[in-house]
Amino acid sequence: MSRPKDAMNRLRDPEALSFWQRTYVPEILRGLKLTAAHFFRNLLIHIFHLAGLWKDRRGAETVQYPEEVRGYSPRLRSLHRLTKRDDGSPRCVACMMCETICPARCIYIVATEHPDPNIEKRPASFDIDLGKCVFCGFCVEVCPEDAIRMDTHILNFAAYSRQEMVWDINRLLSNEPQRVEGIGEIRKVK
Amino acid sequence: MPTLTIDGQQVTVSKGATIMQAAEALGIYIPRYCYHPGLRVAGSCRMCLVEIEKAPKLDIACYRQAAEGMVVHTTTEPVKLARQSILEFLLSNHPLDCPVCDQSGECDLQNFYMEFGLYQSRFLENKIKRRKAFPIGRHVMLDNERCILCSRCVRFCEEVSRSHELGIVNRGDRSEIALREGSQLDNEYSGNVIDICPVGALTEREFRFQCRVWYLNRAASVCPGCSRGCNIELHYNVNRPHQSGGKRVLRLKPRFNAEVNKWWMCDEGRYGFEFIDAPSRLQDFEIRTAQRTVVASREQAVQTLSDWIGDSIDRHGSQSLGIFLSPKLSNEDLYGIGKFARHVGIDCLDFRNPSERPGYQDDFLIQADKNPNTRGCLELGLYRRSEDSGGWMAGEIQRGKVRVLIVFLQDLALAPEFQQVLGRLERLVFVGSNRNGTAEIASLVVPSATYAEKDGSFTNFEGRAQRFERAVVPLGSAVAEADLVASVAVSFGMQREEFERERLLSDLRREYPFFDQEALNPPELEWVYQTPIGQERL
Amino acid sequence: MLEWAVAAGKVAFSLFVLLNFVMVLTWAERKQSALMQDRIGANRASILGFTLLGLFHPIADAIKMVTKEDFVPQGASRALHTLAPFIALFFALISFAVIPLGDELAVGGCTISLQVIDLNVGILYVFAAMSLGVYGFVLAGWASGNNFSLLGALRASSQMISYEITIGATVVGLIMVFGTASLQTLVRRQGDLLLGFLPGWGVFYQPLGFLLFTTAAMAETKRAPFDLPEGESEIIGYFTEYSGIKFGMFLMTDFTETVVMAGLVVTLFFGGWQFPYLQPDGFHFPGAAVVSISPLAVSIAQVMTFLVKLAVFCWLFLLVRWTFPRFRYDQLMRLGWQMMLPLSILNVLVTGALLLLLHR
Ligand code: SF4
Ligand code: SF4
Ligand code: SF4
Ligand code: SF4
Ligand code: FES
Repeated sequence: MSRPKDAMNRLRDPEALSFWQRTYVPEILRGLKLTAAHFFRNLLIHIFHLAGLWKDRRGAETVQYPEEVRGYSPRLRSLHRLTKRDDGSPRCVACMMCETICPARCIYIVATEHPDPNIEKRPASFDIDLGKCVFCGFCVEVCPEDAIRMDTHILNFAAYSRQEMVWDINRLLSNEPQRVEGIGEIRKVK
Repeated sequence: MPTLTIDGQQVTVSKGATIMQAAEALGIYIPRYCYHPGLRVAGSCRMCLVEIEKAPKLDIACYRQAAEGMVVHTTTEPVKLARQSILEFLLSNHPLDCPVCDQSGECDLQNFYMEFGLYQSRFLENKIKRRKAFPIGRHVMLDNERCILCSRCVRFCEEVSRSHELGIVNRGDRSEIALREGSQLDNEYSGNVIDICPVGALTEREFRFQCRVWYLNRAASVCPGCSRGCNIELHYNVNRPHQSGGKRVLRLKPRFNAEVNKWWMCDEGRYGFEFIDAPSRLQDFEIRTAQRTVVASREQAVQTLSDWIGDSIDRHGSQSLGIFLSPKLSNEDLYGIGKFARHVGIDCLDFRNPSERPGYQDDFLIQADKNPNTRGCLELGLYRRSEDSGGWMAGEIQRGKVRVLIVFLQDLALAPEFQQVLGRLERLVFVGSNRNGTAEIASLVVPSATYAEKDGSFTNFEGRAQRFERAVVPLGSAVAEADLVASVAVSFGMQREEFERERLLSDLRREYPFFDQEALNPPELEWVYQTPIGQERL
Repeated sequence: MLEWAVAAGKVAFSLFVLLNFVMVLTWAERKQSALMQDRIGANRASILGFTLLGLFHPIADAIKMVTKEDFVPQGASRALHTLAPFIALFFALISFAVIPLGDELAVGGCTISLQVIDLNVGILYVFAAMSLGVYGFVLAGWASGNNFSLLGALRASSQMISYEITIGATVVGLIMVFGTASLQTLVRRQGDLLLGFLPGWGVFYQPLGFLLFTTAAMAETKRAPFDLPEGESEIIGYFTEYSGIKFGMFLMTDFTETVVMAGLVVTLFFGGWQFPYLQPDGFHFPGAAVVSISPLAVSIAQVMTFLVKLAVFCWLFLLVRWTFPRFRYDQLMRLGWQMMLPLSILNVLVTGALLLLLHR
């Protein structure tokens, strides 16, 4: 292996390549050696796995979602939920801050009168079109009432039609927050 | 004629002018709450404090008269500190409901706080609770917690509407706005207090929660509610249609015009825009025979109308055609129709609906004639001078002379003279924006654009021609009247270009010197009450 | 009559071998690349819950390809657009015909050559088929009515033509050594020992020829690092406007070419079906030890030998494909014309000189 500095110099000046490097052949063989080594090592591990051995060594670095999931970070922005007052009604006062800040313009709120003049305003409907949402989290950031959060850790909400991707106020209210544990740990899911 | 210096600029003002007015003349904006150019000075909010050299302390610009040699500073540190302190004081009992407050986005408390606020609150005390969100009149909601006691609303009821409903009761931090015992705020001009209230204490019941103001777009317009022709702004929402349930025009606000309506408009006009998005709007061309009604395309309808007109002229001469105009049409539309009528030789024209009675009138703005453009019709001569009402046309129909009648907007079916005879017509054509009795029996219905959906001008009772701009696109297949006439006129050998809006206006100004007025130059939007709502983002 | 039956049987057998290799290669490509990159690879397609290491994926792919919309862009020539993939795949498939899978098999008195057809110009036949295959790609790019596809097709044709010259020139050396252009004969002659112990494979006679040929063969398959004609997602290739099974046929062409090229390398340089020291009647080890085996077993061993060698080279091709990044086009051309072609001509000259010296 050449020292990094040499390598950099040679990148800058192709003429600085040695004769063998310019024939490609030894360099190509070195490359092939590296990838082939990975190939055989992983092949071996997988064969051992099939035989029930070496279970603690991973043959692949990838996480096998959905059989395996990692513990999500508290910073993760997952499916939205609307938080509730003590009586179960939405905290949201339909101030439209989230609708205004939303860069994807995917929040649709219709405001109406709240019977209690001290609350005054509430959403008659509150739709988020997740098909358009870019999960920037601005809506959470901007909400003056802490009425919307993205801490449900729900990530699999794909649907078969565009209409189903629109979550209305009832679905959003029914989402619950998820406790954060074992950040980054790979867990098997049954 | 004192000459003074404000922020380094010299200005000469008339005697008795205040520093505020002098600053205004220089284009320097001094923050204010209680001062309103249309009301007497109260000097109660202290927001307008400025530094005057050689004066012992800051003084209020809205009250202090300009004097010779005065040197005024509006941006120095003491002034900023004063503004900050005033704002802190105003907020001491303010609920900060901005999330639910309809004013937010056009609130002077918000705007000035953004610029001069303290941000780091020093308050530990509890705020005083007051009554929130209750109606005090047909159109107005009051929230006592949000009120900053600037007394603009009180002075308005004293000086402008002179109805004296509002007052300030109690003292110190208990004082609040209250209705006079046993009264309601429902004078003819009550909506204006909403405009002048610098905060969200007085809000509009009709507009409540319909749309956040920063989603609104504005267009300069003229109120079609009566022949005063108050200058207005149309505020419409096409950005977030779901918020207002698809309604587009959401509110009207007066636009300052020193000669016509100053800063004000009446409630009747202010809430008279419902018809623009009403369910009664006509949206399709309809051709009706004895058996059934079919929806037609614009081309079909125009063809049908041209055929009927041509056919009637061929068989009975142009005397057999009648046109019943409306004083709600714009000058341009009227002129275009008149031009076409002249071309094909129709002289059976009128616009005066015999069933119309003069309405309520007062000595301020409201006029008895509820049509915006009666004067325009008169100046264009689109009526029979020998008669004093349009009823004569019923006689022509009765005698079988008029066989095809084209009615614009008017509901002739309401007039007893016409009720009898409309059935005798071979063809009745109705052109209008909303469905009415005449539309029900017409053999051809043409949906037309309202004043919010086209450019044009009205002439008010004093003879002032004023332009309005288009805010939204015509609903459904609605067309402006002049455009309809243009489509028909091409089959009679006229050029379509003759009916283009700007061309109509310039021809009109040339042909009728009466209409060659300054006011017909394009209108400009100016925000009088609050600092402009930001629309750049939307 | 019997001849015909035998011929049909041979065609079927050879196609069977080829197509199965192609199918397995589509799976192997994904699995092998996954292993090389510390991934798992395709493992979702399942039948009754069995995934079998993802072996069902080629089947799932086939179903997907067939059921997808067959799209012909506006402005494309419909007939030529449809014809192109057939041409490409057809010529790739038929070039396998001259590659011998084994020596002669004696069954019930008649001897069957384990090769579809033994042409005495076998190697030229392969080149001819390959050159004709280029029409498929050019046509695809041209008939798509898309300028970018056309550019891709032009890249494809110039690349393939450039490297075919090298291929041809390197093979000349081999033909000179073995004195034949028939592939079967070539393989038989590689059964002789070199220096008494080394199998007489082409690679030992022509090491430089082997390197050049393998490189050029990879370029012929149009796969990384020589995938400029296709440029799967970045530079637009000649089959951009293809979808469904027509696109699938182009993919198959690539894999078929890989198998054919691997077969050629094996045949030309690695003794084809020759198992070291295995003669038609058994093993003849150096030092005169002889183990005799029945002729049928020998034939089977030969076919297996060929298949194993073929598999190894397919693996090697995949390894290369997943190791190296793509050349730039000027580098590609420089490599082809300025390095490989002169070297291959040098190879011919040196071989000729040596042959002259040795035979004097
Ligand atoms: S996460 Fe971003 S894009 Fe999605 S709803 Fe919230 S603001 Fe809109
Ligand atoms: S920002 Fe919060 S309170 Fe305002 S509308 Fe959105 S969710 Fe409701
Ligand atoms: S009046 Fe202004 S500051 Fe007060 S709640 Fe309303 S918007 Fe906010
Ligand atoms: S209600 Fe509005 S206008 Fe009236 S005193 Fe209060 S803040 Fe001023
Ligand atoms: S504006 Fe001058 S005191 Fe209120």
